[in-house]
Amino acid sequence: MSAVVNAGRSDYRLPMHRRRKVINVIALVLSLAAMTFGLVWLIWILVETFLLGVDGLRLATFTQDTPPPNTDSGGLRNAIVGSLMMVSLATLIGTPVGVLSGIYLAEYGQRGWFGEVTRFINDILLAAPSIVIGLFIYAVVVAPRGGFSGWSGVLALALIVVPVVVRTTENMLALIPNSLREAAYAVGASKYVMIKSVTLKAAIAGVITGVLLALARIAGETAPLLFTALSNQFFSADLSKPMANLPVTIFKFAMSPFENWQKLAWAGVFLITLGVLVLNILARMLFHKKD
Amino acid sequence: MPIGDHSSRVYDQELENMRSRVLQMGGLVESQIKVALDAFDAGDVAAAEQAIAADRRVNELELELDKLVNHVIARRQPTAGDLRMIMGVAKTITDIERSGDEASKIARAVIWLRDKDSSGRFNRIPDIRSSGEAALTMFRHALDAFARMDASAAAATIREDQAVDDRFRAILRQLVTYMMEDPRSITPSIDTVWIAKAIERIGDHAKNIAEHVIFIAQGEDVRHSSPEEVERTVARN
Amino acid sequence: MNSETAAATKARTKMTVRDLNFYYGKFHALKSINLDIAEKQVTAFIGPSGCGKSTLLRTFNRMFELYPDQRAQGAIEMDGDNLLTTKEDVALLRAKIGMVFQKPTPFPMSIYDNIAFGVKLFERLSRSEMDDRVEWALRKAALWNEAKDKLGQNGTSLSGGQQQRLCIARGIAVKPEVILFDEPCSALDPISTAKIEELIEELKADYTVAIVTHNMQQAARVSDYTAYMYLGELIEFGETDQIFIKPKRKETEDYITGRFG
Repeated sequence: MSAVVNAGRSDYRLPMHRRRKVINVIALVLSLAAMTFGLVWLIWILVETFLLGVDGLRLATFTQDTPPPNTDSGGLRNAIVGSLMMVSLATLIGTPVGVLSGIYLAEYGQRGWFGEVTRFINDILLAAPSIVIGLFIYAVVVAPRGGFSGWSGVLALALIVVPVVVRTTENMLALIPNSLREAAYAVGASKYVMIKSVTLKAAIAGVITGVLLALARIAGETAPLLFTALSNQFFSADLSKPMANLPVTIFKFAMSPFENWQKLAWAGVFLITLGVLVLNILARMLFHKKD
Repeated sequence: MPIGDHSSRVYDQELENMRSRVLQMGGLVESQIKVALDAFDAGDVAAAEQAIAADRRVNELELELDKLVNHVIARRQPTAGDLRMIMGVAKTITDIERSGDEASKIARAVIWLRDKDSSGRFNRIPDIRSSGEAALTMFRHALDAFARMDASAAAATIREDQAVDDRFRAILRQLVTYMMEDPRSITPSIDTVWIAKAIERIGDHAKNIAEHVIFIAQGEDVRHSSPEEVERTVARN
Repeated sequence: MNSETAAATKARTKMTVRDLNFYYGKFHALKSINLDIAEKQVTAFIGPSGCGKSTLLRTFNRMFELYPDQRAQGAIEMDGDNLLTTKEDVALLRAKIGMVFQKPTPFPMSIYDNIAFGVKLFERLSRSEMDDRVEWALRKAALWNEAKDKLGQNGTSLSGGQQQRLCIARGIAVKPEVILFDEPCSALDPISTAKIEELIEELKADYTVAIVTHNMQQAARVSDYTAYMYLGELIEFGETDQIFIKPKRKETEDYITGRFG
């Protein structure tokens, strides 16, 4: 008996259903096509980077400094060391400033003009082209001082780190439900204890993720370094002088007609890409582990 | 029928308290009936007054228990077995209290008779004594069935009511004979009728209590069924 | 004799609310509330959504002060002091008047640290003393047996009902005088709810308890005194038996019997 009932019912529903199914398939195909399109380019970039980069990679890349043009030897040691130094220092300086500001915005500055203004300025800084930041440091530090230096590079990179960390810290803290804060107060905690031991702790994974992402961003920034740290063909650990770094080195070598330089440039590109990739994966793992 | 093991211990205590108070009340009325019957046997006015005085404590218990029943319904929202227990207890309290009232009536009639029955003939009607004992035994059995929540014992108690009713009719016939023989015996005869009626009512209340027990224990409403039907229902469950 | 004084003469009064008014910005949320909270008894607040019962509870431990728009006027007296105007530090006040919230909120730390958290704020205990306190609090909250082997594990590794008992243990550990429960069982299944109701019945031996609940049967089961509120007003307050068997006001009767709009 149910077969009779169903047969009568499905007749009137079928046409609309069929049409929806067709639309569904079309939409699915279009989305897949778009995704493939994006993925193709990404994979192509990665593959090219890998192939060309690995080709230029040798032990010497890590043990020797940047060579003069048209020689067969040389490496990227000074650039790698310089980048590592400047990037770590920038992160070390920028993170506390960023985290504390983020804490202020999330816990003290939800209302009132000061918090709003701070947030606004932070958003502008976040969106500022890094070349502008580089020029700013040039005008304020490099020119008066009369010379490029590693420190000014660190400053410029730090100025890029700060807004990123402020934004992510504030967002992560804002995600913590108010009920957790109230629970801390309800046991007699003061605001400081509540932030330190409860909300910050709860958000810490997200905050660290933010720091890692900021790190990944400055690892590849070229423009700010062009005006601040410039570059150095020799190995130098002196931050008061111009300092070699990967991005500027790549810039210089890639645009040159010399083959050994071009190869080294690709190796540099590969190293930066690898570094950024690893940092992103780390950040993602950390964030998911929290869940 | 489990009383314990609610997640609230206080609830368990309240139910246990209720049960033991019911039994306490039943025990009081049981001895009240016995004293009244003995008073009738011996023509003992002092004992009769004792039986009447016992009513006060029984009434207090009735009020306390009804308050407790209200409290449990309002606060605990009982369901299933607990609900049947509360409903059964509420009704049992009434039947016990009324039995107490009947015992008082017997005692009061004893006091009236004392003045009017100079011959001492009435308290020697054997059927009254035996129906009184039968009713008292029924009452005892009903309370016992309540204490153990035993439906079969309750069904057996219901069966006993027939005998009490039969004896009541026999007593009436006897008294009518007395009244026809000698018009001066009409007043004491009528007083004796009250006594016999009270005894018969006690038997009815005991039967009611037994019916409540079956309801609590098995969820079956056996009111207005014959004793045979009751036994079949109980055996089925 | 009105019900409020009847309640007060039966048991000692722990807190007295006198002419309390509360505002969310311009909105007059609580209107002239007067009542007594009896010591070491459970007082329940019932009423439809928006009647102000949670608002009232949150004035007791001044939780509303976290939000600038909210303000209270009037007096809440405890131990001779008006809590709303007292010079005492609000953190100390909150250690005396604990609160358990609707959603279980374990801190992001181990079970042990969750409980030690509040204690560390006010007392300096040795490791073994703290161990004892943690065990005591967990036993009181009927969680010791389930938690004793995983004290080092994160608080979030417990089930919902256990987490709520953890929050109760956390509140008890600082030895408060009053414990406030704001719909503590709303997010829990019936069995966990029953366990917590049983716990509340035991807690009143040592603490004064106030509980807000939207489930009036829960109020009937658990409380000694009940307050019925509607649209910011206290409609009726009295012993729970009286409220549920013979309420004085028609509004109370309508709400309790479900004849509500």
